[in-house]
Amino acid sequence: MALAVPFGQYVPGTSAVHRLDARFKLLIVTSFVFALFMVDGWTGLLLCAVLLLGAYLLARIPLKLALRGFKPILVILIFTFLANTLTLSAGGDAGALTSDLAATGLVAPNFGALPDSIALIGSFGIKPLGALRGLYFVLRILLLISITSLLTFTSSVVALSDALTALMRPLAVLRVPTEDIATMFSIALRFIPLTAEEAEKIMVAQSARAAVFDKGGLIKRARAWVPVMIPLFVNLFRRADELAAAMETRCYTGRGRTHLKVYVLKVSDLVIGCCGALFFVAAGIFL
Amino acid sequence: MLSFQEIGFRYTGAEEPALVDVSFAVEPGAYVVLLGANGSGKSTLARLANALLLPDTGHVEVDGLRADERATLRTVRGLVGVVAQDPDNQIISATVLDDAAFGPENLGLPRDEITRRCAEALATVGLLGFEERDPNTLSGGEKQRLVIAGVLAMDPSYLVLDEPTSMLDSEGRAEVLAAINALRARGHGILHITHDLDYAHDADKLLVLQAGRLVFEGAPDTLLQDEEKLIAYALQVGSGDVTPRQSPCQPRPLAPPDPSLPSLLLRDVAYTYSAGASFAHDALKGADLTVAAGSYTLISGHTGSGKSTLLRIAAGLLVPTSGTTGFSDGSAVTPGTVGIVFQHPEVQLFAQTVGEDILFGPRNLKMDTTGIVDSVLAAVGLEPRRFAQRSPFTLSGGEMRRVAIASILAMRSRFLLLDEPTAGLDAQGRAFVHRLIDELVRQGTGVVVVSHDLSEFVSRAHVHLLLQKGRLYVAGGGAGAGSTAKAGGSAVSATGHLHVAGGA
Repeated sequence: MALAVPFGQYVPGTSAVHRLDARFKLLIVTSFVFALFMVDGWTGLLLCAVLLLGAYLLARIPLKLALRGFKPILVILIFTFLANTLTLSAGGDAGALTSDLAATGLVAPNFGALPDSIALIGSFGIKPLGALRGLYFVLRILLLISITSLLTFTSSVVALSDALTALMRPLAVLRVPTEDIATMFSIALRFIPLTAEEAEKIMVAQSARAAVFDKGGLIKRARAWVPVMIPLFVNLFRRADELAAAMETRCYTGRGRTHLKVYVLKVSDLVIGCCGALFFVAAGIFL
Repeated sequence: MLSFQEIGFRYTGAEEPALVDVSFAVEPGAYVVLLGANGSGKSTLARLANALLLPDTGHVEVDGLRADERATLRTVRGLVGVVAQDPDNQIISATVLDDAAFGPENLGLPRDEITRRCAEALATVGLLGFEERDPNTLSGGEKQRLVIAGVLAMDPSYLVLDEPTSMLDSEGRAEVLAAINALRARGHGILHITHDLDYAHDADKLLVLQAGRLVFEGAPDTLLQDEEKLIAYALQVGSGDVTPRQSPCQPRPLAPPDPSLPSLLLRDVAYTYSAGASFAHDALKGADLTVAAGSYTLISGHTGSGKSTLLRIAAGLLVPTSGTTGFSDGSAVTPGTVGIVFQHPEVQLFAQTVGEDILFGPRNLKMDTTGIVDSVLAAVGLEPRRFAQRSPFTLSGGEMRRVAIASILAMRSRFLLLDEPTAGLDAQGRAFVHRLIDELVRQGTGVVVVSHDLSEFVSRAHVHLLLQKGRLYVAGGGAGAGSTAKAGGSAVSATGHLHVAGGA
């Protein structure tokens, strides 16, 4: 089949976000994630949210696309929220929660006026403060997903792998085999779609031999995959052998390589990248 | 000169040596074709050419340099480029340009030199303008030309091409052949390893490898006109081994089928991938197909014509977006009722023994399994006592193909679909496939073969259909005896009624 399996979710574009050097995008994303986990309280988190929303608008990425990324973890989000909100000891010893939250600084003092818990049926009830904390966690997860999605929406996988390689290069001083790791990235980019396609082909071929993949209990279902996994692995080993020969033919040793592609460092990218990264690190520390 | 001197080689654990006392040379600028059946030791020879393998006895010498010495290894690999069969396993980088640059980068060349070499290599194989493309989006022929460019950018004096066209369709083959001619024009010495006699005619020198021994070395004409020798070297099969071909491009007449046996029917079948999305793609646009019991239909079409989709729907593995499939007696197509042999079916082998693998389908279908293994192994020409208990992964490529086909036959389907069943097989393997299909048809199985290789099947099938951009057309001779295609011999929209049935 000539249909290539789509890999990554790059949305081509020419916006400022698209054009920013992927190395600095990676740097900013990393510091943004740092800020997400370091900020105490709503001010910092909402600031992150507003800035991220601005970046989405700047990149002209439809928010619909970002929302689609939330679907797989919807259950986790709902669970996180409910687990924080619901209580079975409404009216009981709830003062502990308030002091607990106040100690972490997660809930600003002005929320302290809320009642500890509201009983609905017997001791089952909701905790307004817990609900706030749940919201806080949910928003943090959503922002985490949105920022990484924005990175992949606005950078091609090739640009990303090149950027990772470039950021890693200084580690060569510490004898980290950066060339080999870079080559591994590149091979992964090539072979993940190929392997996915092959898995699908083998699955269809076994279905033609009346194999059933979606019936029965967990163990039966897991066993149904054996006739797919074994040929897949056998083929991967064969591929690996041939790939190694092809790389040896072209004198790959992982040492003494030169590079055709050289990414020119633009001063504007450098300034934006460093300022952005510093800003989020500072936000993480002070907010 | 690339010279092989008294080469002997045995794989660890193998009973028989892969190569015995092989000596020959490829002169600078010469085009040498090395022929041999599957399993004759050809690929081993290719890997020895630039020291990917080292011989047990003898040695390889390149322009006076020994290939097995560490000090000269890099130079030798720079001088001898090896291109193998499957392009997918030889492309390393995520863009075309990066992949062409991979070799020169490894040699530590300066940037402007890499740029120059890549441009030259890509131009030679006709891939200028493809620089930023993702290799996964290229056609087979384009991929293999990229592999050749990647080796060419190393600036080799010799290229060893190991079955470079055997995974490609006819279009891809033509492209790669053009690239080989461009290499010849540039003065590279070429060792082209193949089992396909078509490439032998304009060689400067012809070599034949049989069971690891070099049995012929000389000018092409002396061998190609000697049918007895070609048969002796397993490069061709005797005329008694296969059904004689009829007049070319004329399907065989079909005997009236037993009316009590149901036909396989596809009615106005269409399929759209990613329906509703902006990148929706119509793979099939309304196809009618009737396959009668005991009939043999050839469907030819290029990559991307919708043939895999059509096959999957006909085998009940894919539900069409619109249209219906079923048997003429009203029953539905379920897995097992229509057997399907996919292209390179050997990838589906998984069990510990050949026998277990063959019984996978019958057991899933809750069939009575007594005697199945023996009868289907015999049907594919493998002795049951020798093969039933062996691991499928210890078999040769040709044997694996036979076992994979046997595992489909084991389900005793009334209809059998085969996708490129002879791809990559040598003369004897192909002859086996033809004999098997003829026998199945004789026994009343309705057979559909999908292939881009017209010359191979057209005179053997009863009906020849053409699949083009998701539509089926009657190809030449469609209105002949036994076929009720209403559209005569001319092209007809597949939404028109097109019956491939017996009994005019």
